Amino acid sequence: MAETIVRLRLNQQQLELIDRTIAQGVAPDRVSLVRLALREYAAARKADAATETAR
Amino acid sequence: MTSRPIISEFVMEPGTGKAIELLKGQILRIEQVEGGQCADFNCFNLHDYKEFMHCGRTRTVHGFHPTTGTFMWSAPPRERAMLYILEDTVGRNDVLFPRCSAYVYEASYGFAVHTNCHDIQAEAQREYGLTPDDVHDSFNLFMCTGVDQDGHAFMTRQTTRAGDHVDLLALMDVLAVPNVCGADVMKTSNFALKPLKLTVFVATEADLAKVPNTPKLASQRTPKDFRNPAIKSDRPLRRDPAYRAEFPNTPIVVTELSIALDPEELAMFNAVKRTDIYGDDDAAALRDLLFSWWEERFLQAHAGAPSIESK
Repeated sequence: MAETIVRLRLNQQQLELIDRTIAQGVAPDRVSLVRLALREYAAARKADAATETAR
Repeated sequence: MTSRPIISEFVMEPGTGKAIELLKGQILRIEQVEGGQCADFNCFNLHDYKEFMHCGRTRTVHGFHPTTGTFMWSAPPRERAMLYILEDTVGRNDVLFPRCSAYVYEASYGFAVHTNCHDIQAEAQREYGLTPDDVHDSFNLFMCTGVDQDGHAFMTRQTTRAGDHVDLLALMDVLAVPNVCGADVMKTSNFALKPLKLTVFVATEADLAKVPNTPKLASQRTPKDFRNPAIKSDRPLRRDPAYRAEFPNTPIVVTELSIALDPEELAMFNAVKRTDIYGDDDAAALRDLLFSWWEERFLQAHAGAPSIESK
């Protein structure tokens, strides 16, 4: 399966926030956290769009 | 309701203000005598005048019209709750406008001299050795303001009546400096200057119990935490030859984190990424998505505003 690589550039403060979030048990590692963010963010936008369409 | 012991009463006549030592656990009531009068207000830590109420911090936390149940905050790096608005019978105050000044009345109205909140504040706090440069933007009680569609702040008339009041509970010892707003040629106080009554009470246990806890954080710094705690005593600015910059968290170091998106994830990303801002810079768009998600999921305050929830 073809994958697309996106090279995130994060500074040490941004990484600290991510690592603290991981430490809360939200995701097992940095890459997983970014994937989770993408899925949840996209799902929220999809739900918003559906609500807007229903109006 | 348990009655509050009265410590002092004072009437501020039009064109005047009064500096009042308000100790922790005391309440300052600012009350309409006739109605329709704006009161400008600021306060200082009684034991360190460099800590003062900061309208910018206050409006970031509580919005443009703070009322009952909100706090007046000191400026960074102190950022402490100085006063708590225990009661507000009107519910319309302003932290958008700065105090009016002599310049306004000269430039816009042609007055050589006119009552104005900056000069009234300065004269009132002179009793405690403070200068006109020590006046800060005011919390404007009873002032009706808003923001128009062009992004300008506007003011309009108020509907306060005699007896309307705001009760400010001191959470630390402060020098409270209210004044009768000097604007009689604007709508602020319905085109007339009227007196305001000040009453200082001892807060009851019931009053004190109404105050929510606020965070105690390491970032709320005081002079003992400053690299330079000394107050500068002369006016010219001269370079310190011994100065060596110590900016926190520097240098900023960027690390690359490779994310492999499968076709489904890529489709999701393409559907939501902000190409309007980032164009074809997918790395920047994904970083935006990551922290936007974080804000939505974890941030308790408005973006950019400090949380005041006590953990």
